Order: sequence, then structure tokens, then C-alpha cells
Amino acid sequence: MGRRITRRDFLESLAAMGVGLPMFDAKHPRGLDFQHVNSPTPQKYLIETMGGGVALLDYNNDGLLDIFLVNSGQLTNPMHTPETFDRHDPRNWNRLYRQNPDGSFTDVTKEAGLTNAGDGNYGMGVAVGDYDNDGFPDIYVTNYGKNTLYHNNGDGTFTDVTAKAGVEAGGWSCSAGFFDYDNDGHLDLFVTRYLLWDTQHSKICGQEWQTYCPPAEFPATTNILYCNRGDGTFEDVSKASGISAVKGRSLGVAFADYDDDRFTDIFVANDGMRQFLFHNNGDGTFTERGLEAGAALTADGKPLSGMGTVFQDYDNDGRPDILVTVLPREVYALFHNDGNGLFSYRSLQAGLGLLSAASSGWGVGLEDFDNDGWKDLFVAQSHVLDNVEEIDHMLHYKEPPLLALNQNGRFERSDSGVASAIAGRGAAFGDLNNDGWMDVVVTSLGGEPLVLLNNRGGRAAAHWLTISLRGTRSNRDGLGAKVQVNGQTRFATTAGSYVSASDKRLHFGLGGTDTAKVEIRWPSGTHQVVENVKANQILEIREADKP
Amino acid sequence: MIAGFLSFLLALQAASASPASQHLHAGLLAAQGGRLDAAIAEFKQATELDPKLAPAFLDLGEALIEKHDYAAAVAPLKRALEISPNIEGAHRLLGYALLAQGYASDAVPHLEKAHDEDVLGIALLEADRLQDAVIVLQKALARHPNDPDLLYYYGRACGQLSKEVFDDLEARFPESARAHEMMAQDYAALRDVGGAEREFLEALRLRPQTADLHLELGGLYARAQQWDKAEEQFRLEAQLQPGSPEAAYRLGESLMQLGKFHEARLALVRSDELKHDMPETLYLLGKAGNLDGDDTLAEKSWLHLLTIENNTSLAGQAHFGLAGIYRKQGRTADVDREMELSRQLQGTQDQTQDSPK
Repeated sequence: MGRRITRRDFLESLAAMGVGLPMFDAKHPRGLDFQHVNSPTPQKYLIETMGGGVALLDYNNDGLLDIFLVNSGQLTNPMHTPETFDRHDPRNWNRLYRQNPDGSFTDVTKEAGLTNAGDGNYGMGVAVGDYDNDGFPDIYVTNYGKNTLYHNNGDGTFTDVTAKAGVEAGGWSCSAGFFDYDNDGHLDLFVTRYLLWDTQHSKICGQEWQTYCPPAEFPATTNILYCNRGDGTFEDVSKASGISAVKGRSLGVAFADYDDDRFTDIFVANDGMRQFLFHNNGDGTFTERGLEAGAALTADGKPLSGMGTVFQDYDNDGRPDILVTVLPREVYALFHNDGNGLFSYRSLQAGLGLLSAASSGWGVGLEDFDNDGWKDLFVAQSHVLDNVEEIDHMLHYKEPPLLALNQNGRFERSDSGVASAIAGRGAAFGDLNNDGWMDVVVTSLGGEPLVLLNNRGGRAAAHWLTISLRGTRSNRDGLGAKVQVNGQTRFATTAGSYVSASDKRLHFGLGGTDTAKVEIRWPSGTHQVVENVKANQILEIREADKP
Repeated sequence: MIAGFLSFLLALQAASASPASQHLHAGLLAAQGGRLDAAIAEFKQATELDPKLAPAFLDLGEALIEKHDYAAAVAPLKRALEISPNIEGAHRLLGYALLAQGYASDAVPHLEKAHDEDVLGIALLEADRLQDAVIVLQKALARHPNDPDLLYYYGRACGQLSKEVFDDLEARFPESARAHEMMAQDYAALRDVGGAEREFLEALRLRPQTADLHLELGGLYARAQQWDKAEEQFRLEAQLQPGSPEAAYRLGESLMQLGKFHEARLALVRSDELKHDMPETLYLLGKAGNLDGDDTLAEKSWLHLLTIENNTSLAGQAHFGLAGIYRKQGRTADVDREMELSRQLQGTQDQTQDSPK
């Protein structure tokens, strides 16, 4: 006492509290040398501007998150059939980077057996899930062309099992995700498809400035639901389940049980039309209820240019809400889950009118970046038109990502630490260095990915808890589980965002509290409570044997 | 014209069947039959045989105009006027021939003498006599209010005159608040937010109390989706012009975007008080009420809007809003009706199914 606080002391205190510091250090870590190839042409093929998938997964179970990046491929001006996209050229490969203990990465694409992306496949996105419950995450790559399922052999290698599994889809797939819609313990697969489009039936739009055409120029198409038979094969149940009863222009997908009936529902972000909310009827069928639930259109009844989406509880009321990223002069749509199966449009209340009306959003996540117990918003941003600035000086093609901190349900812009604008597309979320602070990997169309390492670790005093689910009667990763920690709720998923897959672990910020009560409702129906959990740890919770 | 002179010439022919008159007569018959080349040849013969026969020159000029040979028409028409300065129709035709070739200034005195206000207005416009053009075209429009060509030229004349005045203002008072305001508007039209903002702010610095400047700057920010800055400017305008329904409306609109629904509602109520029955105000007031938790106000505003207009996209939005209220109240039949009306009026086709073949 009595010692006068010096200016240096004061600044150090601020730093210790994390005040004034940008949230992330934007890095290109050693060894992560990926360069996305989209090869734009004067033909303005729509696929050029849509790719950029990224996944965070621990493929070798060494406890460190690895990064899988989807490449697109080579286009010619104009394209001729048969289309190959030169996927045999190493520059156009998808890439798997293993994280080393020192935070650097090693390209293991070749030794993992992932060099063959498939002739005729222009890459889009990625989904991750342990579809055979063998404890190793498998990778599903979506393409314009045919999709590929890579089975993780558990020895650092993967095998293309697409044909055997029966999940090649075809057409133009974008986001996809694993989830267990029938709660049988086997992960099923949902695949969004964008448009009925191919290079031979492409169009160029615009007059003075030639641009990519809006989606309404091309016919809508169906999404696909594959049911996991549990024997390494899948059955296309799109028709039987009712999923293909409606056609969309679908880009994003996310899963959660919005009506608390224990069956995981599906939200699909559609571009330039109404959004889909597929209610899981619990009998293997779905009913599209977006309009009647109030989650299909804006408050003015207008369609959205839906791209990415996330389905999590942003206001800690225990119910999953829906956020959809869109084009500028719309506002990122936030559909608040009011209960009783109804949603209300809350974008403006949540501050998104100010934050997003001039921006285009793609990959999106609701994660607690400052560990204060409220999920914050991160959006990878960039306009869809690479020449938008010539058409409209008020808009920008490249944009910095949006980071907005959640202040009791209202989002406020914060310094992400990304100084330069990028053509953001995919975004995957996870704790890369296991320090308890959520990190992000963002892809840039035609560019290098950015690794955003959360720099609050060790500086701010907030506590955290990361939970790794180990299903026994449920699917092994517990995807679909509803996990509640100290009044916060998360639904276990790797899906959401845009063409991306995030870490399967569930992260909770605990603020000043150093213990937690964890409550899990597993997909099997098992209800499990773990009391007095110490903060600041990565905790594996094994599903209880009895309900 | 040719037909008009026919009886006169026939009478002339009867009185004196000179060779020139015979050619003139033949020319008129050829012109009547649509044989313009033959008519021109006959008229030329008439003028050669009688260089003082004004009607022959006049009809030669007219036939050439009919052939769109305006350059050739000028000389005979001028000659007709030399011989007979008051000959009917010559000034008008000469004015046409000159104007058609771009000699607008030369055409003006002839058209003035012909009292042909329609074409005189165009000639004045082309001669850059903008103030005169506006006056003359206004008179012409009073006689022919539904003539799209006249409306077009009148609009052009007004626009050019306006630009000329503004150019003059900029040239003579380049550092005035108004000059900066105009520069700002130019930048805004080019969607150059930075340039427009700089000029608006300079105009405001020079003359802070200028009406509409904050409104314009706020509008610029709103178009750029910078709603916090827009709110600030609209608020200043509303303080400066408390009787302006537009300022109150725009303030309400920006507050809505910022999620300040209660304040927005107050501003929109004010706008509605200042100017009743504005559909946009009523729609936004309903939305503010709805988002502020007052569904009674929302329903009242939207139903009132629908009594004013019921077949527009805005009406469709009101129906959609009403559906939301009724959904919360469990009024399923009302929801279905409002949703269907909304879909019809907003033109949102259900694209989720194949079109029927």
C-alpha cells in the first residue's frame, strides 16, 4: 500500500485483463503452406467464388488439432468436357496438415493417402465425423462433381470408401455435416446442394461489368440425407425422409434440437430464397417448417441470401438460436428461439444492423472467445463478386473478418487483430494450442488460410472448461448431445459455418467461476450430471452405461 | 402545305397558264401522288423558268425536306422569302431545315416568326438558350400536356438549366457552403462516400444551420449502411427542423437499424403526427411497435396502412408482420390468410417445387 501506480504498472494491468488487446494473433504458422486455387476466369463460372472449406480435427488422436484444407482446382477459359480441374497437379490437391507439439505444421497429405481428390471434382467443403465409431475422425469432401468419403484407418492413413459407402451425391455440393438423426448411435450425413448448374450451362451476368450471376438464374435443387446403416454403408433416404420434398439453393447447414424433443433438427441456409428448418419428426421423416416457425424470412417477409449458418444458443436461455450470414444491404439474420417451436427475427435487437449491413458473411461461429460465459460472433467476410467495387463503390470485395463480443445477448464489434482484408470463405473453430481459449482458422478464396490464435490465454483471468464427449450407447463423439455448463448450453456438432467443420470438443467460458456443473443429455436419451468439475481443463466425459 | 396551296395554284393556272406555272402544277400533282423526285424536277423547272415565282421555291424546299435532303432545302426556302418575305410557311420550313442540320441558332428567328413553339423550344434548347427554352416549352406543354417528346425536351431543358446555374454557382463562389453541398451531391451520386462526406462536413462547417444538409449526409451514411453515423445526422436535422416529417422518419429508420426500438417508435410517431397516412411511416411504426413488444400498436399501424394501400410490396410486408402477430396468438386461420396475401404481394414465388409443366 502507499506505492504510487506508475504508468507502466497501469498498462501492464490492462494487458493482464486483456483490455485493448486484439483478440487474435493472425499467423501463417510454419509448415502451413497451403494456397487455395480457384483459378477465376472471364467466364465467371459460379463455382469460382464459392469454395474454401476447412476442417479442424485430431486425425491421429495425439491431442492436437490438425487442419484439413479443401482445394478447388484449375478452370480453363472456357471449360471443355470432360472436366478434370487438374486435380492430379499437387498445387490443386486438398491438404492435411498435422500439428506438431511446437505449434508448427507438417504436410502429411501424401503419407495420409489424400492426394487423389478425384478427376472432375472442383472442391468446395468438408465435413468431419467418426461414422464407423472406431475412434478416429473420418473426412467427407464436397465438390462440384462427386463427393468423397475418406475413412480414417487409425494409422495416419485414409482410404477412399465413397463407392462402398454410397455417398458420392453428384451435382454441386457445398456444406455437409454428420449427425445422428435417428439416435441409433451411427452418424448420418446431410449434404447441401446449391444449384442445378454446370460449366456448359453457365451464364455471365451484368452489362458494363461482367459478374457472377445471382442464384435465381439457375434452378433450385434437392439436398441429400444419407442414413448410416451401421455397416460402413449409407442409404440415400432423401425422398423417404421428406428432405427432397423441397428444393433449395442451399449453402450452409447446421444441426440442433430446437424443440427439445430429443431428435436433432436441421437448419439449411438457402441463397436468395426462404430458409429451411427441417423438423425431425422422430420417425425417420422430416417436415420443413421454416415459414411457420418464423425462421425462413426477414422481419419484412423478404428472402435472405443465406450462406453460412450456426445453430447454437447465443443468449443463454437454453434453446438453440439460428444465425445466417448473408450479403450486404441485408443484415445477418438472427432467429431467436422463443420456445414452442417458434422463432423471432432478432437481428436488430442483437446489434447486427450496425455490424453487418455493409458486409458479406460466409463462415460463422458462435464461440466464447473471451471466456466470459457468453458466445461471441465470428464471421469470415468478403463479397461474392470479385469486381463489386467497380459496380458499387460503397462495397468491398475483400473484408476483414467480423469479431463481435456478446454483451448479454447484444453483439459489439471488437478488434479481431486481423488488419488486412481477405476474401474470407470457410471458418473452423477449435482450441489449437489447448490453452483454453478458442482459436479460428479462416480460408481466403484464392489465397492462404489465416490461423487466428487467441491471445488472451495467460493474460485474462477468466476460467474455461473444454469437454470431449465419449459416447457409448450414443455415437462415439456424442454429436447431437445437449451439454449445459453453469447455465450455458451447447449442442455437440462439428457442422455449421460454411463448407467447414470445427473441433468436436465443446468449449465453455466460465468467467470468474472456477468450478462447473456439467449436465449432458446424450442422443441415446441418457441424462448425466457431473458436479464440481474443476475449471481450466479438457475433460473427457464417457456416456454413462445406464440412462 | 402542298395540298394547301393546290387550290391557289390551280387558280393561278387558270388565270395564266405560263410554262413555269404548268411545271409548278405538274409538280404539285406529282407530290400529291407521292412521286417526290418527279415533283422536285418539276418545281426546279418552274424556278428556272420563272426565278421570281416564290411558291415554286417554297414547294421545292418542302419537297426536299420531305426527302430528308435538308441541306438542299435551305437555298430555295431562303429564295422564296427573298421574293416574298411574308409567304406563309416558308419561315417554319426554313427553321426545320436549319434545325435538322444542327444550325439551331439560325433556326430560332425563323421559328419565332412562324410562332411554332414546339420546335422553337427545341431549337432554343439546342442553341443553349436554356431559360428561353424552358419558358417556350412550358407554353407548348400547356397546349399539349401529353406529348412525350415535349415532356422529354422540357425535362432536358430544366436539367441543363439547373446544371448551368449550379456550374455558375461553383465557378463564382467555389468556397461557399452551397458549392460544397453541390460537390457533396456529385460525389454521392458517384457513390464516393469519402468525397461526399468531406464536402458535406465542409458545407456544415461553413453554415451549420443549413436545412437538409444533415439529412443529406445522414442519407449518405444510410446508403453506406453506416447507421450509427446516420442516426447522429438525422437527429441533428430533426433538432434543426422539428417540423420535418422526413427528418423524424429517417431518424426513426436509423434507430430501428440500431435496435433502439423505443426511441425509433417515438420518432416515427412524431413523423406520423407531422404527416399523416404515409405508408412507409406506418409500416415502420408498426415494425417498431412489434419489435418494442407492443403488438397492439403494430397491428393498428399495419391495418391502417392496408386501408391506404393494399396492393403493393409494402402492403405485403404489413401482411407478413400481421401473420407474425397472429402466429404468437395461435390464430392459425389468420396466419394462413396473411401469409398468402404477403406471398402474393411480395411476389415471392415458392421456388421449392418444380414449376408445373
